[in-house]
Amino acid sequence: MSEHFIKNIEIKNFKCFKDFKAEGFGRVNLIGGKNNVGKTAFMEAVYVNVHSQNTKQFTYSTYCLKMVREKINILMQPNINYKDKFMEQSNQMLTESNIHKTFFEIKEIDSVKKYYFNLSDKEILVNFKEFSFDIEIVPNIIFIDNFGLSTDEIINNYSAIQKKDEEPYLNNLLEKLDSRIKAFKVIYEKPQCKVNDKYFEVTEFGDGVRHLISIVTSLYKAENGYLFIDEIDNGVHYTMLDELWRVVLDVSEKLNVQVFATTHSKECIESYARVAKKLEDEEITFIELGRNDNNQIESITYPYEWLIDEIEQNHGVRGW
Amino acid sequence: MVRIFVEGEDDKKFIIVFLRKLLKDKAVDLGNNTNFDDLITIMGNKSKLLKYENYANTSLLVGKKIKKALFIFDCDFEKDNKKCNGIEKSQECFDKLKDKLKWTIPIDNYIFYKNLDYFIAKTIGKEHCLLEIEKCLELNTLKPNRKPLASLYAIMYPKKPYNLEHDDFKKIKDKLIDLFKGIK
Repeated sequence: MSEHFIKNIEIKNFKCFKDFKAEGFGRVNLIGGKNNVGKTAFMEAVYVNVHSQNTKQFTYSTYCLKMVREKINILMQPNINYKDKFMEQSNQMLTESNIHKTFFEIKEIDSVKKYYFNLSDKEILVNFKEFSFDIEIVPNIIFIDNFGLSTDEIINNYSAIQKKDEEPYLNNLLEKLDSRIKAFKVIYEKPQCKVNDKYFEVTEFGDGVRHLISIVTSLYKAENGYLFIDEIDNGVHYTMLDELWRVVLDVSEKLNVQVFATTHSKECIESYARVAKKLEDEEITFIELGRNDNNQIESITYPYEWLIDEIEQNHGVRGW
Repeated sequence: MVRIFVEGEDDKKFIIVFLRKLLKDKAVDLGNNTNFDDLITIMGNKSKLLKYENYANTSLLVGKKIKKALFIFDCDFEKDNKKCNGIEKSQECFDKLKDKLKWTIPIDNYIFYKNLDYFIAKTIGKEHCLLEIEKCLELNTLKPNRKPLASLYAIMYPKKPYNLEHDDFKKIKDKLIDLFKGIK
Protein backbone atom coordinates (compact mmCIF):
# COMPACT_ATOMS: atom_id res chain seq x y z
CA MET A 1 0.00 0.00 0.00
CA SER A 2 1.16 3.49 -0.85
CA GLU A 3 2.60 5.66 1.90
CA HIS A 4 0.10 8.46 1.40
CA PHE A 5 -2.90 6.21 1.99
CA ILE A 6 -4.99 6.78 5.10
CA LYS A 7 -5.02 3.59 7.17
CA ASN A 8 -6.91 4.77 10.23
CA ILE A 9 -8.68 7.83 11.55
CA GLU A 10 -9.98 9.29 14.76
CA ILE A 11 -12.77 11.86 14.45
CA LYS A 12 -14.00 14.06 17.27
CA ASN A 13 -16.72 16.72 17.32
CA PHE A 14 -17.53 16.68 13.65
CA LYS A 15 -21.17 16.56 12.64
CA CYS A 16 -22.61 13.27 13.99
CA PHE A 17 -19.23 12.04 15.27
CA LYS A 18 -18.50 12.78 18.92
CA ASP A 19 -15.63 10.38 19.46
CA PHE A 20 -15.09 7.87 16.69
CA LYS A 21 -12.29 5.63 15.50
CA ALA A 22 -11.92 3.40 12.45
CA GLU A 23 -8.95 1.51 11.13
CA GLY A 24 -7.69 -1.01 8.61
CA PHE A 25 -8.45 0.95 5.42
CA GLY A 26 -7.32 -0.29 2.04
CA ARG A 27 -6.69 1.31 -1.31
CA VAL A 28 -10.41 1.17 -2.15
CA ASN A 29 -12.93 1.48 0.66
CA LEU A 30 -16.69 1.16 0.32
CA ILE A 31 -18.80 2.53 3.17
CA GLY A 32 -22.27 1.28 4.09
CA GLY A 33 -24.78 1.93 6.84
CA LYS A 34 -28.32 3.05 7.53
CA ASN A 35 -29.61 6.55 6.81
CA ASN A 36 -28.09 9.35 8.88
CA VAL A 37 -25.39 7.17 10.37
CA GLY A 38 -22.67 9.42 8.96
CA LYS A 39 -21.40 7.71 5.80
CA THR A 40 -20.90 11.00 3.96
CA ALA A 41 -19.73 12.79 7.11
CA PHE A 42 -17.09 10.07 7.58
CA MET A 43 -15.76 10.74 4.08
CA GLU A 44 -15.88 14.47 4.74
CA ALA A 45 -13.75 14.06 7.85
CA VAL A 46 -11.17 12.06 5.89
CA TYR A 47 -11.36 14.71 3.15
CA VAL A 48 -10.54 17.44 5.68
CA ASN A 49 -7.77 15.33 7.18
CA VAL A 50 -5.95 14.92 3.89
CA HIS A 51 -6.14 18.72 3.41
CA SER A 52 -4.01 19.52 6.40
CA GLN A 53 -0.74 20.82 5.02
CA ASN A 54 -1.72 24.43 5.81
CA THR A 55 -4.67 26.67 6.71
CA LYS A 56 -5.40 27.42 3.05
CA GLN A 57 -5.95 23.76 2.28
CA PHE A 58 -8.00 23.32 5.45
CA THR A 59 -10.14 26.34 4.54
CA TYR A 60 -10.66 24.98 1.05
CA SER A 61 -11.77 21.58 2.32
CA THR A 62 -14.35 23.03 4.74
CA TYR A 63 -15.52 25.44 2.04
CA CYS A 64 -15.99 22.57 -0.43
CA LEU A 65 -17.94 20.50 2.04
CA LYS A 66 -20.28 23.37 2.81
CA MET A 67 -20.78 23.94 -0.90
CA VAL A 68 -21.53 20.27 -1.51
CA ARG A 69 -24.12 20.18 1.28
CA GLU A 70 -25.64 23.59 0.55
CA LYS A 71 -25.58 23.44 -3.24
CA ILE A 72 -29.35 23.77 -3.63
CA ASN A 73 -29.63 26.55 -1.04
CA ILE A 74 -26.82 28.47 -2.71
CA LEU A 75 -28.56 28.18 -6.06
CA MET A 76 -31.76 29.50 -4.53
CA GLN A 77 -30.05 32.27 -2.51
CA PRO A 78 -26.82 33.11 -4.31
CA ASN A 79 -26.09 36.17 -2.16
CA ILE A 80 -25.72 34.33 1.14
CA ASN A 81 -22.29 34.82 2.62
CA TYR A 82 -20.84 31.44 3.55
CA LYS A 83 -17.36 32.75 4.29
CA ASP A 84 -17.34 32.05 8.01
CA LYS A 85 -20.24 29.61 8.14
CA PHE A 86 -18.21 26.87 6.53
CA MET A 87 -15.51 27.32 9.13
CA GLU A 88 -17.97 27.34 12.01
CA GLN A 89 -19.32 23.92 11.12
CA SER A 90 -15.85 22.57 11.89
CA ASN A 91 -15.45 24.23 15.29
CA GLN A 92 -13.57 21.93 17.69
CA MET A 93 -13.18 19.35 14.99
CA LEU A 94 -10.33 16.92 15.41
CA THR A 95 -9.24 14.39 12.85
CA GLU A 96 -6.15 12.32 13.41
CA SER A 97 -4.96 9.76 10.91
CA ASN A 98 -1.67 7.95 10.26
CA ILE A 99 -0.85 10.86 7.93
CA HIS A 100 -2.12 14.09 9.52
CA LYS A 101 -3.52 15.57 12.66
CA THR A 102 -6.03 18.40 12.29
CA PHE A 103 -7.65 20.44 15.02
CA PHE A 104 -9.62 23.63 14.54
CA GLU A 105 -11.30 25.74 17.18
CA ILE A 106 -13.00 29.12 17.32
CA LYS A 107 -11.82 30.85 20.48
CA GLU A 108 -12.73 34.06 22.18
CA ILE A 109 -9.73 35.63 23.87
CA ASP A 110 -10.20 39.05 25.50
CA SER A 111 -13.49 39.37 23.64
CA VAL A 112 -11.71 38.88 20.34
CA LYS A 113 -12.83 36.04 18.08
CA LYS A 114 -9.88 33.97 16.96
CA TYR A 115 -9.27 30.92 14.82
CA TYR A 116 -6.96 28.32 16.31
CA PHE A 117 -5.43 25.63 14.08
CA ASN A 118 -3.26 22.69 14.99
CA LEU A 119 -2.22 21.12 11.72
CA SER A 120 0.13 18.19 12.21
CA ASP A 121 1.43 19.81 15.43
CA LYS A 122 1.92 23.24 13.85
CA GLU A 123 -0.11 25.70 15.93
CA ILE A 124 -1.59 28.85 14.42
CA LEU A 125 -3.75 31.45 16.18
CA VAL A 126 -5.29 34.15 13.99
CA ASN A 127 -7.74 36.98 14.68
CA PHE A 128 -10.96 36.20 12.87
CA LYS A 129 -10.98 39.65 11.25
CA GLU A 130 -7.48 39.18 9.95
CA PHE A 131 -8.05 35.71 8.60
CA SER A 132 -7.71 35.81 4.83
CA PHE A 133 -9.96 32.89 3.89
CA ASP A 134 -7.56 32.31 1.02
CA ILE A 135 -7.72 28.79 -0.33
CA GLU A 136 -5.33 26.31 -1.84
CA ILE A 137 -6.79 23.66 -4.08
CA VAL A 138 -5.07 20.29 -4.04
CA PRO A 139 -5.82 19.04 -7.56
CA ASN A 140 -5.51 15.33 -6.82
CA ILE A 141 -7.98 15.29 -3.92
CA ILE A 142 -11.50 15.16 -5.34
CA PHE A 143 -14.94 14.85 -3.77
CA ILE A 144 -17.83 13.78 -6.01
CA ASP A 145 -21.26 14.29 -4.50
CA ASN A 146 -24.27 12.25 -5.55
CA PHE A 147 -25.05 14.64 -8.42
CA GLY A 148 -21.64 14.22 -10.02
CA LEU A 149 -19.23 16.97 -10.97
CA SER A 150 -19.99 20.35 -12.52
CA THR A 151 -19.29 20.89 -16.22
CA ASP A 152 -16.12 22.88 -15.44
CA GLU A 153 -14.83 20.15 -13.15
CA ILE A 154 -15.47 17.46 -15.76
CA ILE A 155 -13.61 19.47 -18.39
CA ASN A 156 -10.73 20.08 -16.02
CA ASN A 157 -10.49 16.42 -14.98
CA TYR A 158 -10.89 15.14 -18.53
CA SER A 159 -7.56 16.77 -19.40
CA ALA A 160 -5.91 14.18 -17.14
CA ILE A 161 -7.34 11.42 -19.37
CA GLN A 162 -6.20 13.25 -22.49
CA LYS A 163 -2.68 13.64 -21.11
CA LYS A 164 -2.45 9.87 -20.82
CA ASP A 165 -4.12 9.24 -24.20
CA GLU A 166 -6.75 7.18 -22.41
CA GLU A 167 -9.81 8.67 -24.15
CA PRO A 168 -10.72 5.25 -25.65
CA TYR A 169 -10.94 3.85 -22.11
CA LEU A 170 -13.73 6.31 -21.23
CA ASN A 171 -15.41 5.93 -24.63
CA ASN A 172 -15.45 2.17 -24.27
CA LEU A 173 -17.03 2.40 -20.84
CA LEU A 174 -19.70 4.85 -22.00
CA GLU A 175 -20.56 2.54 -24.88
CA LYS A 176 -21.04 -0.29 -22.38
CA LEU A 177 -23.37 1.96 -20.37
CA ASP A 178 -25.36 2.95 -23.45
CA SER A 179 -24.50 1.24 -26.71
CA ARG A 180 -25.63 4.33 -28.66
CA ILE A 181 -22.82 6.45 -27.18
CA LYS A 182 -19.79 6.21 -29.45
CA ALA A 183 -17.51 8.93 -28.07
CA PHE A 184 -17.03 11.60 -25.44
CA LYS A 185 -15.43 14.95 -26.24
CA VAL A 186 -15.21 18.48 -24.94
CA ILE A 187 -16.46 20.71 -27.74
CA TYR A 188 -16.80 24.49 -27.35
CA GLU A 189 -16.05 24.04 -23.64
CA LYS A 190 -18.97 21.71 -23.21
CA PRO A 191 -18.73 17.95 -22.40
CA GLN A 192 -20.58 16.10 -25.12
CA CYS A 193 -21.39 12.53 -26.15
CA LYS A 194 -21.70 11.29 -29.70
CA VAL A 195 -24.92 9.45 -30.57
CA ASN A 196 -25.90 8.61 -34.16
CA ASP A 197 -23.06 10.75 -35.51
CA LYS A 198 -24.26 13.84 -33.64
CA TYR A 199 -22.86 15.34 -30.44
CA PHE A 200 -25.17 16.12 -27.53
CA GLU A 201 -24.32 17.87 -24.29
CA VAL A 202 -23.88 15.53 -21.33
CA THR A 203 -26.72 17.35 -19.56
CA GLU A 204 -29.07 15.83 -22.17
CA PHE A 205 -28.34 12.33 -20.86
CA GLY A 206 -29.41 10.56 -17.68
CA ASP A 207 -27.68 10.97 -14.30
CA GLY A 208 -25.74 7.75 -14.83
CA VAL A 209 -23.76 9.13 -17.76
CA ARG A 210 -22.71 12.25 -15.88
CA HIS A 211 -21.89 10.27 -12.74
CA LEU A 212 -19.80 7.75 -14.65
CA ILE A 213 -17.89 10.46 -16.52
CA SER A 214 -17.33 12.24 -13.20
CA ILE A 215 -15.91 9.09 -11.60
CA VAL A 216 -13.63 8.05 -14.46
CA THR A 217 -12.24 11.52 -15.16
CA SER A 218 -11.69 12.08 -11.44
CA LEU A 219 -9.82 8.79 -11.06
CA TYR A 220 -7.29 10.01 -13.61
CA LYS A 221 -7.11 13.48 -12.09
CA ALA A 222 -6.56 12.04 -8.61
CA GLU A 223 -3.32 10.26 -9.54
CA ASN A 224 -1.27 9.71 -6.35
CA GLY A 225 -4.08 11.31 -4.38
CA TYR A 226 -7.55 10.65 -3.05
CA LEU A 227 -11.01 10.28 -4.53
CA PHE A 228 -14.24 10.47 -2.51
CA ILE A 229 -17.48 9.37 -4.18
CA ASP A 230 -20.83 9.83 -2.49
CA GLU A 231 -23.38 7.20 -3.54
CA ILE A 232 -21.15 5.65 -6.17
CA ASP A 233 -23.98 3.69 -7.78
CA ASN A 234 -26.27 6.71 -8.17
CA GLY A 235 -27.99 6.50 -11.55
CA VAL A 236 -26.02 3.39 -12.55
CA HIS A 237 -28.04 0.35 -13.65
CA TYR A 238 -27.14 -2.80 -11.72
CA THR A 239 -25.88 -4.53 -14.87
CA MET A 240 -23.19 -1.84 -15.13
CA LEU A 241 -21.96 -2.12 -11.56
CA ASP A 242 -19.32 -4.80 -12.26
CA GLU A 243 -17.93 -2.66 -15.05
CA LEU A 244 -17.87 0.40 -12.83
CA TRP A 245 -16.00 -1.44 -10.07
CA ARG A 246 -13.58 -2.95 -12.58
CA VAL A 247 -12.67 0.57 -13.69
CA VAL A 248 -12.39 1.90 -10.13
CA LEU A 249 -10.18 -1.00 -8.99
CA ASP A 250 -8.12 -1.03 -12.15
CA VAL A 251 -7.41 2.72 -12.44
CA SER A 252 -6.98 3.32 -8.71
CA GLU A 253 -4.29 0.63 -8.64
CA LYS A 254 -2.61 1.87 -11.79
CA LEU A 255 -2.55 5.51 -10.69
CA ASN A 256 -2.10 4.99 -6.96
CA VAL A 257 -5.38 6.58 -5.89
CA GLN A 258 -7.03 5.89 -2.56
CA VAL A 259 -10.79 5.72 -3.00
CA PHE A 260 -13.57 6.14 -0.44
CA ALA A 261 -17.14 5.64 -1.64
CA THR A 262 -20.57 5.24 -0.08
CA THR A 263 -23.58 3.16 -1.07
CA HIS A 264 -26.94 1.97 0.20
CA SER A 265 -27.23 -0.77 -2.36
CA LYS A 266 -26.80 -4.47 -1.69
CA GLU A 267 -26.21 -5.07 -5.40
CA CYS A 268 -23.42 -2.53 -5.35
CA ILE A 269 -21.69 -4.19 -2.39
CA GLU A 270 -22.06 -7.65 -3.93
CA SER A 271 -20.66 -6.37 -7.20
CA TYR A 272 -17.73 -4.77 -5.35
CA ALA A 273 -16.86 -8.07 -3.64
CA ARG A 274 -17.37 -10.08 -6.82
CA VAL A 275 -15.12 -7.88 -8.95
CA ALA A 276 -12.42 -7.64 -6.28
CA LYS A 277 -12.41 -11.44 -6.07
CA LYS A 278 -12.24 -11.78 -9.84
CA LEU A 279 -9.35 -9.33 -10.05
CA GLU A 280 -7.75 -10.84 -6.92
CA ASP A 281 -7.52 -7.31 -5.58
CA GLU A 282 -7.01 -7.72 -1.86
CA GLU A 283 -6.42 -4.03 -1.17
CA ILE A 284 -10.10 -3.38 -0.64
CA THR A 285 -12.20 -2.99 2.48
CA PHE A 286 -15.81 -2.49 3.38
CA ILE A 287 -16.55 -0.11 6.24
CA GLU A 288 -19.86 -0.69 7.99
CA LEU A 289 -21.22 2.05 10.23
CA GLY A 290 -23.82 1.60 12.94
CA ARG A 291 -24.93 3.04 16.26
CA ASN A 292 -24.35 1.50 19.68
CA ASP A 293 -26.86 1.46 22.53
CA ASN A 294 -25.72 4.97 23.52
CA ASN A 295 -26.44 6.21 19.99
CA GLN A 296 -22.75 6.74 19.29
CA ILE A 297 -21.43 5.74 15.88
CA GLU A 298 -19.15 2.72 15.63
CA SER A 299 -17.52 1.01 12.70
CA ILE A 300 -16.51 -2.43 11.52
CA THR A 301 -13.89 -2.67 8.79
CA TYR A 302 -14.09 -5.83 6.72
CA PRO A 303 -10.86 -6.63 4.89
CA TYR A 304 -10.98 -8.49 1.57
CA GLU A 305 -11.33 -12.10 2.73
CA TRP A 306 -13.82 -11.38 5.48
CA LEU A 307 -15.99 -9.31 3.12
CA ILE A 308 -16.00 -12.10 0.53
CA ASP A 309 -17.00 -14.58 3.23
CA GLU A 310 -19.79 -12.34 4.56
CA ILE A 311 -21.18 -11.81 1.06
CA GLU A 312 -21.00 -15.53 0.26
CA GLN A 313 -22.94 -16.28 3.46
CA ASN A 314 -25.43 -13.57 2.41
CA HIS A 315 -24.92 -11.76 5.70
CA GLY A 316 -26.11 -8.17 5.79
CA VAL A 317 -23.34 -5.58 6.03
CA ARG A 318 -25.40 -2.45 5.48
CA GLY A 319 -25.46 -1.21 9.05
CA TRP A 320 -27.11 -2.12 12.31
CA MET B 1 -29.13 -8.86 15.98
CA VAL B 2 -28.73 -12.51 16.88
CA ARG B 3 -26.47 -15.05 15.20
CA ILE B 4 -26.93 -18.80 15.00
CA PHE B 5 -23.82 -20.85 14.24
CA VAL B 6 -24.36 -24.17 12.48
CA GLU B 7 -22.19 -26.84 10.88
CA GLY B 8 -23.46 -27.00 7.31
CA GLU B 9 -25.99 -26.04 4.67
CA ASP B 10 -28.50 -28.75 5.70
CA ASP B 11 -28.52 -27.49 9.27
CA LYS B 12 -29.08 -23.95 8.03
CA LYS B 13 -32.00 -25.03 5.83
CA PHE B 14 -33.55 -26.86 8.75
CA ILE B 15 -33.20 -23.87 11.07
CA ILE B 16 -34.80 -21.62 8.43
CA VAL B 17 -37.77 -24.01 8.13
CA PHE B 18 -38.10 -23.85 11.89
CA LEU B 19 -37.78 -20.06 12.05
CA ARG B 20 -40.41 -19.62 9.34
CA LYS B 21 -42.78 -21.76 11.40
CA LEU B 22 -42.04 -19.79 14.57
CA LEU B 23 -42.53 -16.54 12.68
CA LYS B 24 -45.85 -17.76 11.28
CA ASP B 25 -46.94 -18.78 14.78
CA LYS B 26 -45.82 -15.34 16.02
CA ALA B 27 -43.58 -17.09 18.52
CA VAL B 28 -40.64 -14.90 17.47
CA ASP B 29 -40.36 -11.35 16.23
CA LEU B 30 -37.57 -10.69 13.74
CA GLY B 31 -38.41 -6.99 13.40
CA ASN B 32 -37.48 -5.61 10.01
CA ASN B 33 -34.90 -8.30 9.32
CA THR B 34 -36.47 -10.90 7.07
CA ASN B 35 -33.12 -12.03 5.70
CA PHE B 36 -32.73 -15.40 7.42
CA ASP B 37 -29.25 -15.77 5.96
CA ASP B 38 -28.20 -12.80 8.04
CA LEU B 39 -29.04 -14.71 11.20
CA ILE B 40 -27.07 -17.86 10.44
CA THR B 41 -23.38 -18.56 9.91
CA ILE B 42 -22.27 -21.84 8.36
CA MET B 43 -18.99 -22.89 9.94
CA GLY B 44 -18.31 -25.84 7.60
CA ASN B 45 -18.31 -28.79 10.00
CA LYS B 46 -18.26 -29.62 13.69
CA SER B 47 -14.48 -29.31 14.11
CA LYS B 48 -14.53 -25.89 12.52
CA LEU B 49 -17.52 -24.86 14.60
CA LEU B 50 -15.71 -25.78 17.79
CA LYS B 51 -12.40 -24.20 16.79
CA TYR B 52 -11.70 -20.92 18.61
CA GLU B 53 -9.48 -19.51 15.85
CA ASN B 54 -12.41 -19.50 13.42
CA TYR B 55 -14.16 -16.74 15.38
CA ALA B 56 -11.49 -14.04 15.08
CA ASN B 57 -13.58 -11.94 12.69
CA THR B 58 -16.94 -12.73 14.25
CA SER B 59 -15.62 -11.60 17.64
CA LEU B 60 -15.31 -8.09 16.17
CA LEU B 61 -19.07 -8.09 15.52
CA VAL B 62 -19.98 -9.29 19.00
CA GLY B 63 -21.43 -6.53 21.15
CA LYS B 64 -21.72 -4.23 18.15
CA LYS B 65 -23.97 -6.15 15.77
CA ILE B 66 -24.37 -9.50 17.45
CA LYS B 67 -26.15 -9.24 20.79
CA LYS B 68 -27.00 -12.92 21.37
CA ALA B 69 -25.63 -16.18 19.96
CA LEU B 70 -26.82 -19.76 19.63
CA PHE B 71 -24.58 -22.63 18.53
CA ILE B 72 -26.32 -25.66 17.04
CA PHE B 73 -24.37 -28.79 16.18
CA ASP B 74 -24.46 -32.59 16.10
CA CYS B 75 -23.32 -34.76 18.96
CA ASP B 76 -22.34 -37.44 16.40
CA PHE B 77 -21.49 -40.99 17.33
CA GLU B 78 -19.75 -41.99 20.51
CA LYS B 79 -18.52 -45.18 18.89
CA ASP B 80 -16.28 -43.09 16.60
CA ASN B 81 -14.38 -42.26 19.79
CA LYS B 82 -13.46 -38.76 18.68
CA LYS B 83 -12.51 -36.04 21.14
CA CYS B 84 -15.79 -34.11 20.85
CA ASN B 85 -18.29 -36.91 20.02
CA GLY B 86 -21.25 -37.91 22.14
CA ILE B 87 -23.44 -35.54 24.11
CA GLU B 88 -21.16 -35.10 27.11
CA LYS B 89 -17.91 -34.67 25.23
CA SER B 90 -19.61 -32.36 22.71
CA GLN B 91 -20.86 -30.16 25.52
CA GLU B 92 -17.40 -30.16 27.14
CA CYS B 93 -15.78 -29.07 23.89
CA PHE B 94 -18.34 -26.33 23.43
CA ASP B 95 -17.90 -25.08 27.00
CA LYS B 96 -14.17 -24.80 26.37
CA LEU B 97 -14.82 -22.80 23.21
CA LYS B 98 -17.23 -20.52 25.07
CA ASP B 99 -14.66 -19.87 27.80
CA LYS B 100 -11.99 -19.02 25.27
CA LEU B 101 -14.23 -16.71 23.26
CA LYS B 102 -14.92 -14.50 26.28
CA TRP B 103 -17.89 -12.95 24.52
CA THR B 104 -19.85 -10.67 26.81
CA ILE B 105 -23.24 -11.52 25.30
CA PRO B 106 -25.72 -14.27 26.14
CA ILE B 107 -24.57 -17.53 24.50
CA ASP B 108 -26.54 -20.76 24.32
CA ASN B 109 -26.11 -24.05 22.53
CA TYR B 110 -28.15 -26.98 21.32
CA ILE B 111 -26.76 -30.39 20.41
CA PHE B 112 -28.64 -32.68 18.02
CA TYR B 113 -29.21 -36.29 19.01
CA LYS B 114 -26.60 -38.13 16.89
CA ASN B 115 -27.04 -35.84 13.91
CA LEU B 116 -29.76 -33.86 12.17
CA ASP B 117 -30.84 -36.89 10.13
CA TYR B 118 -31.34 -39.14 13.13
CA PHE B 119 -33.01 -36.34 14.99
CA ILE B 120 -35.51 -35.73 12.19
CA ALA B 121 -36.10 -39.45 11.64
CA LYS B 122 -36.85 -39.86 15.32
CA THR B 123 -39.36 -37.00 15.38
CA ILE B 124 -41.33 -38.40 12.46
CA GLY B 125 -41.18 -41.87 14.03
CA LYS B 126 -39.15 -43.36 11.20
CA GLU B 127 -35.77 -43.94 12.75
CA HIS B 128 -35.92 -47.63 11.83
CA CYS B 129 -36.28 -46.67 8.15
CA LEU B 130 -33.17 -44.60 8.28
CA LEU B 131 -31.20 -47.36 9.94
CA GLU B 132 -32.44 -49.75 7.30
CA ILE B 133 -31.41 -47.43 4.44
CA GLU B 134 -28.03 -46.83 5.99
CA LYS B 135 -27.47 -50.53 6.52
CA CYS B 136 -28.65 -51.52 3.07
CA LEU B 137 -26.69 -48.88 1.18
CA GLU B 138 -23.72 -49.04 3.58
CA LEU B 139 -23.86 -45.26 3.85
CA ASN B 140 -21.92 -45.19 7.09
CA THR B 141 -18.96 -46.93 5.57
CA LEU B 142 -18.94 -44.58 2.60
CA LYS B 143 -19.33 -41.19 4.20
CA PRO B 144 -20.29 -40.96 7.84
CA ASN B 145 -22.54 -38.10 8.85
CA ARG B 146 -24.04 -37.45 5.44
CA LYS B 147 -27.68 -36.55 5.80
CA PRO B 148 -29.52 -38.68 3.23
CA LEU B 149 -32.83 -38.55 5.04
CA ALA B 150 -32.95 -34.79 5.47
CA SER B 151 -32.10 -34.40 1.79
CA LEU B 152 -34.57 -37.05 0.62
CA TYR B 153 -37.31 -35.71 2.84
CA ALA B 154 -36.88 -32.19 1.47
CA ILE B 155 -37.05 -33.46 -2.12
CA MET B 156 -40.00 -35.79 -1.62
CA TYR B 157 -42.05 -33.50 0.58
CA PRO B 158 -41.00 -29.96 -0.34
CA LYS B 159 -44.14 -28.43 1.13
CA LYS B 160 -44.42 -30.69 4.14
CA PRO B 161 -42.22 -29.55 7.01
CA TYR B 162 -40.91 -31.86 9.65
CA ASN B 163 -43.23 -32.51 12.51
CA LEU B 164 -42.13 -29.46 14.40
CA GLU B 165 -44.84 -30.01 17.00
CA HIS B 166 -43.10 -33.20 18.15
CA ASP B 167 -41.93 -33.14 21.77
CA ASP B 168 -38.35 -33.71 20.65
CA PHE B 169 -38.39 -30.31 19.00
CA LYS B 170 -39.51 -28.52 22.15
CA LYS B 171 -36.04 -27.87 23.51
CA ILE B 172 -34.62 -26.38 20.34
CA LYS B 173 -37.86 -24.45 19.81
CA ASP B 174 -37.58 -22.89 23.29
CA LYS B 175 -33.95 -21.99 22.65
CA LEU B 176 -34.83 -20.28 19.38
CA ILE B 177 -37.71 -18.36 20.97
CA ASP B 178 -35.44 -17.34 23.84
CA LEU B 179 -32.75 -16.21 21.41
CA PHE B 180 -34.99 -13.54 19.90
CA LYS B 181 -36.38 -12.30 23.22
CA GLY B 182 -35.36 -8.73 24.03
CA ILE B 183 -33.82 -8.14 20.61
CA LYS B 184 -34.95 -4.92 18.91
